[in-house]
Amino acid sequence: MLSRRRFLATGLAAGLSPLVGSCGREPSWDAAAVRKAARSSVAVLDAPGYASPLTETLLRGIRLLELPVRGKRVVLKPNLVEFDPEGAVNTHPAVIAAAAEAFRRLDAAEVVVAEGPGHRRDNEYLLTASGLLPVLRELGVRYVDLNYDPVRPVALRSSFTELGHLHLPTTVLDADLLVSMPKLKTHHWAGVTLSMKNLFGVVPGAVYGWPKNALHWAGIDGSIVDIASTLPSPRFAIVDGILGMEGNGPIQGEPRHLGVLVLGKDFPAVDSTCARLMRIDPLAVRYLADAGRFLGNVEAERIEQLGETLESRRQDFRVLPSFQSLKV
Amino acid sequence: MSTLEAPALQAALRAAQNPDGGWGAVPGRASDTESTCFALVALRASSAAATRASHRAGLAWLLARQDEDGGWPLPPGGEEPSWVTSLAMLALDDAGEGEAGVLRGARWLLNEEGRRFGWLQRIVFALVPEDRRMKLDPDLVGWPWRSGSFAWVEPTAFALLALKKLRSRLDTPEVERRIRQGERLLFDRACAGGGWNYGNSRVLGEELWPYPEVTAVALIALQDRAEAPATREALAALPEMLDEHASGLSLGWAMLCLAVHGRDPAPFAPRLARRHAESGFLRETRSTALALLALEGATDWLRV
Repeated sequence: MLSRRRFLATGLAAGLSPLVGSCGREPSWDAAAVRKAARSSVAVLDAPGYASPLTETLLRGIRLLELPVRGKRVVLKPNLVEFDPEGAVNTHPAVIAAAAEAFRRLDAAEVVVAEGPGHRRDNEYLLTASGLLPVLRELGVRYVDLNYDPVRPVALRSSFTELGHLHLPTTVLDADLLVSMPKLKTHHWAGVTLSMKNLFGVVPGAVYGWPKNALHWAGIDGSIVDIASTLPSPRFAIVDGILGMEGNGPIQGEPRHLGVLVLGKDFPAVDSTCARLMRIDPLAVRYLADAGRFLGNVEAERIEQLGETLESRRQDFRVLPSFQSLKV
Repeated sequence: MSTLEAPALQAALRAAQNPDGGWGAVPGRASDTESTCFALVALRASSAAATRASHRAGLAWLLARQDEDGGWPLPPGGEEPSWVTSLAMLALDDAGEGEAGVLRGARWLLNEEGRRFGWLQRIVFALVPEDRRMKLDPDLVGWPWRSGSFAWVEPTAFALLALKKLRSRLDTPEVERRIRQGERLLFDRACAGGGWNYGNSRVLGEELWPYPEVTAVALIALQDRAEAPATREALAALPEMLDEHASGLSLGWAMLCLAVHGRDPAPFAPRLARRHAESGFLRETRSTALALLALEGATDWLRV
């Protein structure tokens, strides 16, 4: 149950739209197209730092999770939103480089990195300041600015908002394998931002503006679920939990070392596992609870934990007072 | 030391032009209104004969894209008109072509408003303390990126600039009213210490930092409000925002802004050249065009 304070905070985050948006409307979803598995596997892998052998770690995780890669066009979607030299805002270039290398070693037909930054539409700055540009050049990996990618209208497969459809980038829609690569962070409007929230970045700014405000008006939590339910499968998540963010995330929080990479095919299961690593109850996170109804597994008993145990890696991530009710 | 020559940038722009006459965000992408507008003003500023045919083809593409209602859409194949209507008006006005289309664009722009809170949202917004929400005045009317959404800094700044350039040709008091409202919105959204980001200066009690490219665009829109504290503060802060990673986009806009405000942009030219040598501006049409305009000191299209 959401507290009044949380309700107000969430409402304001969403441009107050929950107060007028989907009130009294029962969300639905296309059960034929979106069906959660009986059980899901999530790997929590040790990665003490960015100088660690990350490619080998990711290869181990991809094999543990039996992800087919050969011959696929892989789109890596990192979290690249702002740059703060003191912070831990973006997915680290070393993790992106390791993922590109791992998928190539597994005979992917093509690997591209694609992002549509939500605050700044200055890609050159973000790629340069974050250190990603030299990494992409060294690897010869193409970068696609999703904010300006050609778009197609797509009917949403669930109705937690009243958006109905979105124009989405063809690079993402035509991918054989979409890999969401978020930074593990708390979020001052949604509670946490992980592989599902990271997908806001695929919504093109050329159509919806900066920030992706149409989603805020429609409701942040509902938008997260509707986008995640609609993007094509198969997909995979690689969460950069080596250096996460606590407090006033996703931009102005403080870095917190956790030393893990979290991998899985089921985004709600991956995100729930990450929430538990932060000592946050995933079922108290509104969009995770909603996603758990049809999109993926959120309950711990339905998630097979591979790699490290949660107990051995769990840390008490600080959240804003309005999200204190999420803590366990 | 790196050098950056205007002919090389002109050649790059011409080479990036699509067969349909427009430009995409990067070479090879489908033509879009924003990229085409920046390429057009950059090529128009050039005296090279080789650019004229290119410019004419681009103008034809732009004129054909105008919607029946007067606005222009941004994305390739995009549907409804959007914020790029302001850019299209600036590009056509700069070329001295399509006057009727420019005026229809202005009428569309005058009818376009950022979405406002409903009554319930207003009540909740007023009740929640400022340290638990964003700091902004939701009653101010500016321009959105896309119809039906909230007003933000860049679309408001571009709309202000277009209307200020055309105000003498628009025989309606609505123009002055919208200009005053738009200016108030920009002043309201200014960051502490000067400048603008996309449009939130403070969220949950935390100050947010400004972006140089957005600050420069807002300052150009406020060039006739140089006495305003927010303008003065932002102009003083702009050079400091251009850190070592400053892009072709931000350096280009900043140099144009400084020139419009009577400051010397020349000290930034070597950095622009260095950035181009390092990144090639990611081959982005917009940045290439702005760099060309900055190098040539071509600010007529921005002056009100």
